[in-house]
Amino acid sequence: MGEYLLEVQDLKTYFKVKAGRVRAVDGVSFSVRSGERVGLVGESGCGKSVTALSIMRLLPKPAGEQAGGSILFEDEDLLSMPESNMRQIRGGKIGMIFQDPMTCLNPTMTVGKQISEALRIHLKLSNEGAKARAISLLDQVGIPAAHERISSFPHQFSGGMRQRVMIAMALACNPKLLVADEPTTALDVTVQAQILELINGVCHDFGTAVIMITHDLGVVAGMTDRVVVMYAGKVMETAPTEEIFANPLHPYTLGLLASVPRLDAVRQEQLKTIEGAPPDLLKPPPGCPFMPRCAFARAICKTMPPLTAVSGSMQHQKACWIDVTDPSQQAYAERRRQARAASQQAALAAFAETTTQSGDQATVPDDAEHAEKEG
Amino acid sequence: MDVSEQLSLSSFDEEIEPFLAETSELVQKRRSQGRIIFDRFMRNYTAVGGAAFLILLFIFCFVGPYIWHVNPNTVNVLHVKETLANPSLTHPFGTDDVGRDQLARAMAGGQVSLIVGLLSMLIGIGIGTLIGALAGFYGGWIDNVLMRITDVVLAVPLYLLLFVLSAAFSDGKPQTVILIIAFFSWTYAARLIRGEFLALKEREFVMAARTIGANNFRLMFRHILPNAAGPIIVNATLLVGANIITESVLSYFGFGVQPPNASWGTMIATGDSFFDVDPWLVFISGLLIFATVLSFNLMGDGLRDALDPYMTER
Amino acid sequence: MDFPPGDFLILGCVCPLVIVTPEVSMGRYVIRRILQAIPLLLLVSIFMFALIHLMPGGPDQVIFNPHLSAAARAQMRVRFGLDDPVPIQYLKWLRNALTGDFGFSFTTNLPVLTVLGQRFPATLELFGSALIFALIFAILLGVVAGVRQRSITDYTLTTVSYFGISMPVFLFALFGQYIFAVALHWLPASGITSVGYTLAPFDAFVDGVWHLILPMMVLSILFIAAWSRYLRSTMIDVVKQDYMRTARAKGVSPLGVLMRHAMRNALIPLVTVVTLDFGSIAGGAVITETIFSWPGMGQLFYQSLEARDYPILLAMLTLSAFFVVAFNLLADILYGVLDPRIRYA
Repeated sequence: MGEYLLEVQDLKTYFKVKAGRVRAVDGVSFSVRSGERVGLVGESGCGKSVTALSIMRLLPKPAGEQAGGSILFEDEDLLSMPESNMRQIRGGKIGMIFQDPMTCLNPTMTVGKQISEALRIHLKLSNEGAKARAISLLDQVGIPAAHERISSFPHQFSGGMRQRVMIAMALACNPKLLVADEPTTALDVTVQAQILELINGVCHDFGTAVIMITHDLGVVAGMTDRVVVMYAGKVMETAPTEEIFANPLHPYTLGLLASVPRLDAVRQEQLKTIEGAPPDLLKPPPGCPFMPRCAFARAICKTMPPLTAVSGSMQHQKACWIDVTDPSQQAYAERRRQARAASQQAALAAFAETTTQSGDQATVPDDAEHAEKEG
Repeated sequence: MDVSEQLSLSSFDEEIEPFLAETSELVQKRRSQGRIIFDRFMRNYTAVGGAAFLILLFIFCFVGPYIWHVNPNTVNVLHVKETLANPSLTHPFGTDDVGRDQLARAMAGGQVSLIVGLLSMLIGIGIGTLIGALAGFYGGWIDNVLMRITDVVLAVPLYLLLFVLSAAFSDGKPQTVILIIAFFSWTYAARLIRGEFLALKEREFVMAARTIGANNFRLMFRHILPNAAGPIIVNATLLVGANIITESVLSYFGFGVQPPNASWGTMIATGDSFFDVDPWLVFISGLLIFATVLSFNLMGDGLRDALDPYMTER
Repeated sequence: MDFPPGDFLILGCVCPLVIVTPEVSMGRYVIRRILQAIPLLLLVSIFMFALIHLMPGGPDQVIFNPHLSAAARAQMRVRFGLDDPVPIQYLKWLRNALTGDFGFSFTTNLPVLTVLGQRFPATLELFGSALIFALIFAILLGVVAGVRQRSITDYTLTTVSYFGISMPVFLFALFGQYIFAVALHWLPASGITSVGYTLAPFDAFVDGVWHLILPMMVLSILFIAAWSRYLRSTMIDVVKQDYMRTARAKGVSPLGVLMRHAMRNALIPLVTVVTLDFGSIAGGAVITETIFSWPGMGQLFYQSLEARDYPILLAMLTLSAFFVVAFNLLADILYGVLDPRIRYA
């Protein structure tokens, strides 16, 4: 095996819809080492879940199609593998847990049977052997009275417990890689920490690598060794976790980090947002997808920048032409922001006038700057 | 020229807001709700086909006699060769054992079958709506009593009771048949509407109407009922088809419409005895019944899909 | 005969209990439903009784032979208890019925239950085989159509089911008879056996099977149409669920996913529907049996109707209501048993 457990190379996944093809993942590359914890971050709709499903080849048919790229797992390309081989990998070598544990467990099968199913398929255990191991797994994930709970049904557990069951199910056959798609989003805050701790602990004990998909930067900070920032189906920046928090070099990452409210911020200061909205993935504009919202954007950004290493650190890569640490660029960005704010005020004022004059009820979006940046 | 050079060469003024020119059509054209439903219905080809067939059928049965001037009741026993005849130019649907023209009878019978189906549906839906609305809206003991009555009527298998009732009361006239069939048509509608009312009466618009002083009657029929209209319409359409079938069954067994009144069911009854000699008699009326009911079913399903707010794009 | 008012007191006390009994567990739920069913059946029997006695041409007129003398008529009235006011007649009937005595058939003078008992096996044979046949076909069609939408199976199912619900049963029967019996001569046109022969056991069995095929297919078409459609839509809903994806993520083969995960969830609602439909067995397949001259309860009903044999009619109506209500209850219970969400709620 090469250096990496999993290598995603230029992955492209599109969805066929009536209006055309949605480019959900449009050239994503990253890698995961054995035992490493990688965080896949981005806002809703940026393609992180689709990336995960592509790795597992669980895309919804017939709409989803693999349009290019390769995914090397232990040096074998998952995308060109026959389905029967892939089935052995699913659950056996790569496990996956999903966001909503309520709907992700079969309501008419006992928890024990659902866990044993994976054990019998991959490890070829007998019924008793599978049951015994299932009990010990439930124990490990922290479910009390495991030997009784093994014959309970999913609806008899609470949300956090159900997620623990999912984790037990995914890790039952000791996979090398765990893909966790927003495992804590549907849970209470208090339970979130417990589940994350659990994932951390179990994966550390078994040496399982983790791809943690989330939109929550807090989760990323505590749980990952490396971060991959995605936007509109492309990778914007990737770096070790500490590095990316200390030294973000992509305007989008900057925006993400700035938008997290701080406890020590001045009170009644306006919350910082990234203006605008994500692009239409049916007809994405050429070039960098973040360009319409980026304060640093220049004419050159109409060509997509490649993911290149930052000077001084091979681990840190960004896909951007601009050096955001350069003061002149920052000044430019500041002037840009002010100009935008001014024109936004003007547009709002003009709109207010027209509505009071004519009393019309035209459906115009709340956010007048949509009109400027859409395209 | 590398990146940094490019950047330093351009000045602030040169940089334009990207993609300003392409603003999308933000003000959407709103279609009215009726239009949306109509469009969805029209996309369903089988449903449209069914509706088209029904329109043609109505024209055939009600306008047809003005074009095809043959009396359905003229008996022609003298010329035996012309009885039990196969379709020909003079008699496009053939004749029966006493020489009556089947095309004219199909039209006359169609009138009866269709009217029986429609009127019994209307009465049945009317009663069912009333009962369901009262039960669902008031709840409590009214609901209990009304639902018990519904259960009683539903408990006995339909045809048994129908046969008994029509054996007793039927005098062969379509009017009685309408009433008898309507007597059983209301149960499903009542249940359905009661369910809708139970759900809808908790909604805010009911509370709002109450606060401006609407009395119960107004609430039920001006506010809640229009919102429950969708399932009612679907049920009504499907019910017509079911009632036509019921009528034909009754008439075939001699309990429903009886000679001299004609309906498609009686035509089949007459033709049944001559099935091996002249199958056309049964086939024609049978196919007419089948096609009519099929069209009502297709239309009903199309309406259900068109009215369903949660239907995903197929 | 007199009626101890005590009987009514008991009934009167039991019924209110229905409302008071709390719903705590499955056992109590079943008892509660049974208690609810009793007044329902009583109401049904009252309704039927009233209907029959108030009908024009009711029992009063029917049994009277115009040639009887007035005295003989009076005797008949006493014999059949027709002198008492109708409510008392009902109570007497009810009392007897609860012990299984439904009176005597007007036409054959045999006890009603005996007559029914004679006819029941034939209906059971026809109905039972039709249900099993329909179930197998419906599951096959429904599952395949639900899993592979817009395939040939799906279109076949849609066509068959529209056929099934748009054609009156008697038309199916007639067409079936014509095509298979008259035109092609493959199957016998009617009856349960070939009449007028005594056949060796094996031959008799085969003869019976040949006679069963046509009526059974006709009867099952309606069920196949309804059930496969229902199963198809249930399957479509199930296949969209998240736990199907989880199962595939575990590496379960497509067949395993279908059988263990999809069918288990999709078949539960179908069980309810099938049970409910089974409840109409007592009504028999009146139409099918009559057209095919099948000597079952349905044919008996039709014949009794023609002959105005009221004791049989009354008994059949009440018994079929009983079956319907009983199977309704069974369907509810089964659903509770099979779906763990309800069982352990």
